[in-house]
Amino acid sequence: MSAFLLTQVINYGTPLLGLILLLGALGFPLGTSVIVIAAGAFSQQGILNWTNAILIGFAGSVIGDILSYSIGHFAKDWTQQHFGNSPAWINASEAFQKHAGLAIFLTRWLITAVAIPTNLIAGGSGYKFSHFLLYDMIGELIWILLYGGLGYLFGSQWELVYDFINNFGGLMLGLVIFGFGVYQVWHWQEKKKLAAN
Amino acid sequence: MFSQANPKQRALVIGLIVLGILFTIFFGMRAFHAYKKFGGHRPPPPGKVETDVELVRDWMPIPFISRMYRVPEKNIFDALKIPPLGNHNKSLKDLNRKYYPNQDGFVLSTVKATLLAFQQPTPTTDASRVTTTIPPPTALATP
Repeated sequence: MSAFLLTQVINYGTPLLGLILLLGALGFPLGTSVIVIAAGAFSQQGILNWTNAILIGFAGSVIGDILSYSIGHFAKDWTQQHFGNSPAWINASEAFQKHAGLAIFLTRWLITAVAIPTNLIAGGSGYKFSHFLLYDMIGELIWILLYGGLGYLFGSQWELVYDFINNFGGLMLGLVIFGFGVYQVWHWQEKKKLAAN
Repeated sequence: MFSQANPKQRALVIGLIVLGILFTIFFGMRAFHAYKKFGGHRPPPPGKVETDVELVRDWMPIPFISRMYRVPEKNIFDALKIPPLGNHNKSLKDLNRKYYPNQDGFVLSTVKATLLAFQQPTPTTDASRVTTTIPPPTALATP
């Protein structure tokens, strides 16, 4: 899929780049990180105009995030009906509200694999839209500038950059999952201590 | 250790910890290898013409390759015996499928060979660059 899209980005330019990033933010598995790095390289090679690529890419990804937040928001009633009384959902929602800003910010550019679930949870848990938009825009800008910038810097050797970033993202995800599990165990330990006292 | 949690939660958390460890090891090793490859390369200087034909991929269209390697499109189309008209937007893979369906990878290898041939230095005919040959040193005759 990515190979086909790369050909089409060369042929149709920044409007298609924006559309791909929008669809990627909605959950379509299009491999958007590879497209952003390649778009940086294409800008260096004079295929894309770099200012347009940044602006249109940024707009596409933010609009896509707003739409997936909205999906979560409009599914809120259904979620409340089905899980509203579940202690696990209440705990998860409360925990998300506490760290939502950081989660939204980091999932835009560092742990991109969980960006869409984060958008849906943010919308579904009633997280304030203006706050979501602020963290989302900062994170997406970093994503576009960092990934695209590395692609621009390395030009035709951009695949090396992608190989590293892709695996580094997986490593970060692994650390976050592991950290969450360890935190949960620690949390139970603390509760046990309090109960004992 | 898990007495505060119900069995379902316990299983979920153990699963998460195991999954996290597996992800960390798997992607950590891959990231390390990728970093070793990536770290050995420095960004090319701006404006440098690409010469490494191993970077040609089958998703690239010919005008893009032509621009990347500064080789005229015509040379590439001629080498492939393909008309440029209607084929500008097609990837090498699509061109191979359309024109050489029975020869896998033919278009890619021909394009690489054409780029390499174009990079070969050609003998100069410029009079100002004609050099005179210096005869090799000879041993001095001893009386």
